[in-house]
Amino acid sequence: MEDKELIGKLQRPETCREAFGEVIRLYSEPLYRQVRRMVQNHDDADDVLQNVFLKAWQNIDNFRGEAKLSTWLHKIAINESMSFLERERKHAGVSIDDEEAFLINLIEADKNIDGDELAVMLRKAIAKLPEKQRLVFNMRYFDEMKYEQMSEILGTSESALKTSYHHAVKKIEQFFRESD
Amino acid sequence: MNHDDNILEKLNHKDGMTVPDGYFDDFAARMAASLPEAEWEKKPNVLPRSFWDKVRPYVYLAAMFAGIWCMMSLVDVFKSSSTDALFDNNQLLAQAFDDDSYMLDYFVTEGALSDTDLLDELYDSGFEPASLLNSNNQ
Repeated sequence: MEDKELIGKLQRPETCREAFGEVIRLYSEPLYRQVRRMVQNHDDADDVLQNVFLKAWQNIDNFRGEAKLSTWLHKIAINESMSFLERERKHAGVSIDDEEAFLINLIEADKNIDGDELAVMLRKAIAKLPEKQRLVFNMRYFDEMKYEQMSEILGTSESALKTSYHHAVKKIEQFFRESD
Repeated sequence: MNHDDNILEKLNHKDGMTVPDGYFDDFAARMAASLPEAEWEKKPNVLPRSFWDKVRPYVYLAAMFAGIWCMMSLVDVFKSSSTDALFDNNQLLAQAFDDDSYMLDYFVTEGALSDTDLLDELYDSGFEPASLLNSNNQ
């Protein structure tokens, strides 16, 4: 089902619930991947993802179809993930300066991994990046998202995003060189 | 560990994260089932329209036109009750207004007749001031 058709069904009360079921089926995996890369842990990603869809469902009547459905959902996912991390960090009594160590602990505690040591190292390298660079790198490198859509989601110019990604790549390469 | 600058190419966009088997199918079903009923999903509680509900706008419209018609009629009545129409319809009043003495007796108002006019009128009617003195002496 095309985005336009799906949005049309979402805007009619009689077809909305069915169409939203389709939205969940279509977007649960890409949104899960995005959330998981932010919160690191599967169980937490599952909780956050439920909140993302719940929030989208509660606000579906405010969605006018001006933006792409995926853009709107990614925005909600990023906001929910950031709020979750903020709550968890405060709950654990971790200051914002220790966020890197907090994320690395979460990565090391994650049981749902394929055993690729290099991939774990990459996650730790990403955890060392500033928050915005982390987001940009994840969206570009793993999801191969276009800068145009990233710009709509993050509200940042494409040139700033390209610069951000470039810096992130350099820092990650540096991390691997230093860990040799 | 030996890494080069093409480490990101080696990783080939893989994050090494896994999910339990069948997680996404299970999630979609679980999520869809747990969606609460939204406000806008509830059908509006529309009461059946009574006969009065149906005709009410037309009745109000008719009453408005009737009101306008009444106001216009009243204006017409006031216009037609001018002085000319009053005399045309009342013969007695017309005769009275033709009579100068009647007008003098009943319609002389303050300021409309000066003292001089009054004395002139008295002299014309044969009044003699000396008669007043005589009557006082008697």
